[in-house]
Amino acid sequence: MRFVLVDTIHRLEPGKSITASKRLAAGEELFRDHFPGFPVVPGVLLTEMMAQAAGKCLDADGTHPGRAMLGKIRSANFREWVRPDQDAVIHAEITQNRPAYATADCFVEVDGRKVCSADLFFVFVPHERFAPDYRDEVLDAYWKANPPTGTTGSG
Amino acid sequence: MTQQEALEWIAKLFEEKPERVTVDTVRGDIPAWDSLGVLTLMADLDNNFGIQLSDDEVQGMRTVKDILEILRRNGQLAP
Repeated sequence: MRFVLVDTIHRLEPGKSITASKRLAAGEELFRDHFPGFPVVPGVLLTEMMAQAAGKCLDADGTHPGRAMLGKIRSANFREWVRPDQDAVIHAEITQNRPAYATADCFVEVDGRKVCSADLFFVFVPHERFAPDYRDEVLDAYWKANPPTGTTGSG
Repeated sequence: MTQQEALEWIAKLFEEKPERVTVDTVRGDIPAWDSLGVLTLMADLDNNFGIQLSDDEVQGMRTVKDILEILRRNGQLAP
């Protein structure tokens, strides 16, 4: 599986908040091991979903010296199992948005129930560290469907 | 906040045992006071005390005493 843990962005306020979603199909190989006969989405992947969603929100802001990268998981709680083929709806609210760092309060819902939450800390990695042609395909798809109207760019 | 409370806050921030953080502790004595630690410190000063550090203040922080001085200058530490 690719390490793209956001399928679709549904709502985006650059640098402030985002709602996105991800569904892991039952056929994903990881479910053979996590766990045999009782497949559930690993907590680390739920955390990564929240980190990627919040990261896209920050990258969309276009005011930072690089791409948002998870620096620290300040807290994380997992309340309910997420099973294969369930739609995980990811919410992130940026609570601090500074040039050198950012923080985000995030949670994931399934069928309207909060299944996990996390307080995440982000740093920014200079754009030069990445491949020159690196594009965020999920963010690009969102901007294509929802062209930016303000001064913020597509990152 | 008293100086002792501030030292405990700094120890928790850098995931150190409280007894390992004193006024005389220097950055090199605290493994977690690395580049990520600096950003964490900046974020927590901002979030908990409303203190936003200048670039010079960030560059100048080399000891626990420096952090205490920033808290004191911003009225967060009892004289």
